[in-house]
Amino acid sequence: MVQSESIVSAYAPPFKIVSKYFIAAMVSFVVLNFLLLLNSSSIHGHHFQPKILSINHIATLGWITMIIFGAMFQLVPVVLETKLFSEILAEIQFWIYLLGVIGLAYCFWVFETGIIMTLSAIILNLAMFIFSFNIALTMKSVKKWNLTAGYLAAAIFYLIVTAIVGLLLAINLWTPYIKVSHLQYLNLHAHIAFIGWVSMVIMGVSYKLIPMFTLSHGYSLTYAKLAFWMINIGLFGIATTMLFEETTFLYYTFTLLVVLGIIFFLLQIYIIFKKRIRKKFYIGIKFSSVAYLMLGLTTALGTFIAFVNYESIFNLTLVYGYMIIFGYISMLIVGQMYKIVPFLVWYHKYSGKVGLAPVPVLKDMFNEKFAHVEFYLMFSAVLGSLYSLAFRSDIGLLISFSLMFISSIIFIFNMIAIFRK
Amino acid sequence: MKDFAVITKDMKISKMLALYPHTLNVLLKASPHFKKLENKILRKALAGRVTVTQAASIAGVDLYSLLFELNNSINNSTEPIKIMSDEMYSEKIVKQKPDIIEKSSVDKIHHLDVRPVIDSGKDPFQNIMAAVKELTTDEILLIINSFEPIPLYAVLAKKGFEHWTEKENDVFRIYFYKDKEAVQDENSEQQKTLSKETDYEKVIEVDVRELVPPEPMIKILETLSQVDDNTLLLVHHHREPMMLYPKLEERGYEAVSNKIEENYFKVVITKKRNV
Repeated sequence: MVQSESIVSAYAPPFKIVSKYFIAAMVSFVVLNFLLLLNSSSIHGHHFQPKILSINHIATLGWITMIIFGAMFQLVPVVLETKLFSEILAEIQFWIYLLGVIGLAYCFWVFETGIIMTLSAIILNLAMFIFSFNIALTMKSVKKWNLTAGYLAAAIFYLIVTAIVGLLLAINLWTPYIKVSHLQYLNLHAHIAFIGWVSMVIMGVSYKLIPMFTLSHGYSLTYAKLAFWMINIGLFGIATTMLFEETTFLYYTFTLLVVLGIIFFLLQIYIIFKKRIRKKFYIGIKFSSVAYLMLGLTTALGTFIAFVNYESIFNLTLVYGYMIIFGYISMLIVGQMYKIVPFLVWYHKYSGKVGLAPVPVLKDMFNEKFAHVEFYLMFSAVLGSLYSLAFRSDIGLLISFSLMFISSIIFIFNMIAIFRK
Repeated sequence: MKDFAVITKDMKISKMLALYPHTLNVLLKASPHFKKLENKILRKALAGRVTVTQAASIAGVDLYSLLFELNNSINNSTEPIKIMSDEMYSEKIVKQKPDIIEKSSVDKIHHLDVRPVIDSGKDPFQNIMAAVKELTTDEILLIINSFEPIPLYAVLAKKGFEHWTEKENDVFRIYFYKDKEAVQDENSEQQKTLSKETDYEKVIEVDVRELVPPEPMIKILETLSQVDDNTLLLVHHHREPMMLYPKLEERGYEAVSNKIEENYFKVVITKKRNV
């Protein structure tokens, strides 16, 4: 009858686990920028080549998805208003997942397409199933089912689809069996990953966190709801039409639906922004604004690619991919980390002392000047890389990748400073 | 006729729980809303003024099935069922707009729209009490609000007011009026139960709606030192502070959040008492 204490305290974010995921992700970010810099001369031509595939998977699995896992474990009580089902599962998942990421990145790098790559893909699948299981059981206890929870549920579904399609592709590289083009499935794998998994999480969490930190309310979520259905129906449609031949018309229709959904998402973010009470731009919002802008540009480019025979313009896919990974997602993640990590550390170390002893305020947790320097470096690196990729400038690429590498060093330096605060 | 215990719809929850402690289980089974009642201080703070009818309405459960369950838990007799169906009948009549309101002339009805007050972040309680004070016996007070102010019914009932509520879209219109015959019916027993409840002597109000995380938490935790056994901390918040709960728990406090509307929560924080 007495309220159990363990239930209440479980709302506190699991600091150790979340930090583990975050640090692993940040290290991946630095590693991938280092590898890009070392191999800047081979980043051109067709995207289907070992080095690019390897770096790409360090980015998507080691950096982006790793951060999302950690952030989800931290944000569950805030965005779903319930407690995480199991911290132990989150811990087990981390080690399995890390092994899988390293295995897969290595296999792509040396293009070892045999059993080891398939094994790595199986290990990654296992980790993602554990994650989905953990979050699904967490969602079971959600009392007030809200829009964000809907987005996250959909994201989990696409994560699993991405993982399974990835595994099938790995097996196909080992013993070819796919009748339709391997590249077509690769296309599906990539888009389900970026739109279904990563963007669904970003959108769902944005609807919750942006109003929270800019104090915005009194707006309707109509566009967010429309975006949800459009993107889901569109992605489902695209995935289904891929199984058949001669479905050009349907493919274009569903693509446009997804594009419209993304536009509606951006519109919703704009509306939330308009209604904010806090007018001051903190560093996180600066990064995020550029990221949302990049999402718009990427969507336009993606639409163009979908309607044009881009195989003749090889570098266009690289430009597109770079824009998604660095311009849109990495910018957004870095920006959000400047809010999420200080809060995580502050909550863990100081919230217990408030009112009893002097504690630092959030903005004392890191040097904002360095963060601004990082922002400008990263932003110029993104623009420079896009220019150099599009116009095949080797020296431009070298400079831009160096800038990006330096900015990633500043980033991890800032983050470590927060963790040690 | 055999003597048996009856829980009526007008019985105070606090009285019911005092007489039949095990009815708490019935409430808990009926709705998670009643979880607050497990806590003895909040039971005093909340249940003291709330009848079974109001409790059912707040928790959103069917009044008659709740009464049925409650009575079944204290009796094995089938008699209470009959009594309740009588009540159900009388309830239906009350559902129609009372004559006294229908027949009242327009200038006798005083309008008080409390939504602007609530929007500006204040509690309209003082305004309502001031308006009530000015009423003469045959005048009616019409309160317009965005949610049903259920605790207010009991407060004004103590002053001899009946109420009648209608809901149009999301707007509640609540008429408070005096029924001369009903005034005499108000028995003194009810008054006694009310006065027995230990009320909190001091209420500290904090508004954190203009603050971004973690400032609300800082402000609340800093205010805690002023909250003793007889003090109640009322926080106006823009969301449910999930991450604050463990911090309160650590320091021996507890909280109950009440959603008033989108982006407005009232969080009541009190010191835990050793049971």
